Amino acid sequence: MKKVPGLLVMLLIFIVILAACNADKGNESANSEDTVGNEDIVEINFFHRWPNEPRKSFYDEKIKEFMDENPNVKINVDSVLNDSYKEKIKVLVSGNKLPDIFTSWSDSFAQNLVSSNKIMSLNDVISNDKDWSSKIIESQYGGFTFDDVTYGIPFTVDGKAFFYNKEIFKENNIAVPTTYDEFIEVLNKLQEAGYKEPLVEGLTNTWAISHYLGTIFDRVVEPSILEKDYNQETGEFTDAGYITGLEMFQELTTYMGDVSTAIDHEAARNMFGNGEVPILYMQFAEIKMVEDIGDVEIGFFNFPEVSNGKGNQTSLTGAPEGWMLSKNAPKEAVEFLKFLTSEETAFEFTKTAGQLNAVKGAVTSENVKANSLEAYDIIMKASSTAPWFDNAVNINIADIFMRGGQELATRQTTPEEILKAVQQEAEKLKK
Amino acid sequence: MREGVCVIYRKKQVIPTLFILPSILLLGIFIYFPLVQNFYNSFFDFSVFSPTKEYIGFAAFKYLLQDKVIVIAFLNNIKYAVVSMVFQVAFALILATILEDKLFRRVAPALRIIYFIPVMISISVIALLFGFIYNPQMGLLNSFLELIGLENFAIPWLGNATASIYAVIAMSQWQSIGFITMLFIVAIQKIPKELYEAADIDGAGKVRRFLSITVPQVKETMFVNTLITITGAMLVFNEPYILTNGGPGFSSMTLSVHMYQQGFVKDNMGYASAVATLIFALTAIFALIQIKVSRTGKDE
Repeated sequence: MKKVPGLLVMLLIFIVILAACNADKGNESANSEDTVGNEDIVEINFFHRWPNEPRKSFYDEKIKEFMDENPNVKINVDSVLNDSYKEKIKVLVSGNKLPDIFTSWSDSFAQNLVSSNKIMSLNDVISNDKDWSSKIIESQYGGFTFDDVTYGIPFTVDGKAFFYNKEIFKENNIAVPTTYDEFIEVLNKLQEAGYKEPLVEGLTNTWAISHYLGTIFDRVVEPSILEKDYNQETGEFTDAGYITGLEMFQELTTYMGDVSTAIDHEAARNMFGNGEVPILYMQFAEIKMVEDIGDVEIGFFNFPEVSNGKGNQTSLTGAPEGWMLSKNAPKEAVEFLKFLTSEETAFEFTKTAGQLNAVKGAVTSENVKANSLEAYDIIMKASSTAPWFDNAVNINIADIFMRGGQELATRQTTPEEILKAVQQEAEKLKK
Repeated sequence: MREGVCVIYRKKQVIPTLFILPSILLLGIFIYFPLVQNFYNSFFDFSVFSPTKEYIGFAAFKYLLQDKVIVIAFLNNIKYAVVSMVFQVAFALILATILEDKLFRRVAPALRIIYFIPVMISISVIALLFGFIYNPQMGLLNSFLELIGLENFAIPWLGNATASIYAVIAMSQWQSIGFITMLFIVAIQKIPKELYEAADIDGAGKVRRFLSITVPQVKETMFVNTLITITGAMLVFNEPYILTNGGPGFSSMTLSVHMYQQGFVKDNMGYASAVATLIFALTAIFALIQIKVSRTGKDE
């Protein structure tokens, strides 16, 4: 008879365990129920990709501000960095745990998220509050609009350019290159002047490679072919320009040094900021970070023209990033979105983080230094913009190019082999 | 008489079954069901975003055979297994024997703790730590090599296509050796002292005693450790994922990292399931071979 209580205890433990599993699930879907059942607290899950300073504190502060203004709202924030963000958001989408408001890149990254049917259409939100929505630069909506439906509010604008150390250029009597051949000459001169790796890059971050390749392809491949190849349904990647482009990248890696495949972009940026390397391919978003490291005098030039390149010679690579809402997000999340993209927040954001924003009148000489204002001008005046390559093409294609880029740097492969793999993958994706 | 035994036997069967039930249920829900579902998934093509799955039959498995990365990853897993066998099984056994030797009686407890500490540190922390050690600019390893005049050997460890996988493996050895050593120490302590005394009387030296008494006596533990090490090597994910993410190129890719990347980076959930099935098959085969070879439990 003694065995029965023991058995009961076992069963009890088992039930408790199962119940605990259930309770977990209950909590996660609690937001929407809270809105209906309990007017007191609305929980908003907010997910962004800046666990690093200065943006982390900025958003923490903004969350607090919003919660003080709206005492019935509780915002749960989570954040992970760049590459991890891309992975985590996919896991969240597949697991039906999409946060209410979160950051997204434009173009194919946004399109992928939209295809899950879990993203809120913002057409009504935009047309119902013209005071707020007309403040955002219209041209920046493009990357978030698919079939005339807008799914995201652009917030930051960006562009990629070579940052150079003006002092080093002056010391060695080097002029800013305007063509690719001149650029190589400049790199050679810098090497002679004792800079072993004049064009360092953190190639462990594969997106850094994709930024290079995206711009190079935009220079050397005809726009119509690019458009066809970047589309998953029609992509072939048979143009000889891709080989030329990969060869150019391989040539550039010889100026990046052995160290480049072992460090990340942040390390490379620190080297530039400390004046150890003269040139680095960076985003305008990084201006403030460089200024914070040391007092290097920065100049920038766009990726130079490629003589006999068939592509667009003056386009600027860069695309906006913005905010998206989950389909089930409460109306308070919409308010929070408006709060995040208001002129005041944008002005303060650019002042704190140094990154340029897509809100009209929120980038002035009052909140940015001359360098950033110059960059803002370049972005606004760019003849055309090329999207980030890893967002422009299917990730399977991008991955072959990006890993291939690493292998080019370590001399394990050839441009022809990479392109062959890409063509096979493109063929597979068409089906 | 015989019938009576049978009744008791049958009666007794109900209670034990009930006792096993919770664990069977838990195993079923969390292990067997996902296993079957994973196998089922590998016949479909779907991404994390898509609400529907497309049936593709054996296409994913066919592609497994053509995928060059699978070969690289599998070879890396094998390298992992071989190196781990040498360090974690062979070397750990020697280490355990030394620690249990009379000469080390005084310091052994302290050393045991020292060797065991890495096991208790989170793998993410260790990987970040080794990221600093391997750092090409200010890393401890390269600074040390330069200090002793071997600057020619100072390479960017994680950025070099040949060295990266070994750098990753080395970190695992550092971390896991303490755990395996601990298991061996326990096994060695259980060996009857009489055996060693008899060997002493026979005039056997330390090496002879190790080979003729310690090794045969810890055979069972050796088998368990081999199993842990080899299945561990087939499944290894954290170390390469955090240190190199499989790069540069695919040079330090392992099967698990490849699976993860196919699933969560490249959105090929179906193919990732096929890779997972392959990993399961490999691990199961290795485990079966070992069980057959060592004929565990049949000695007594």
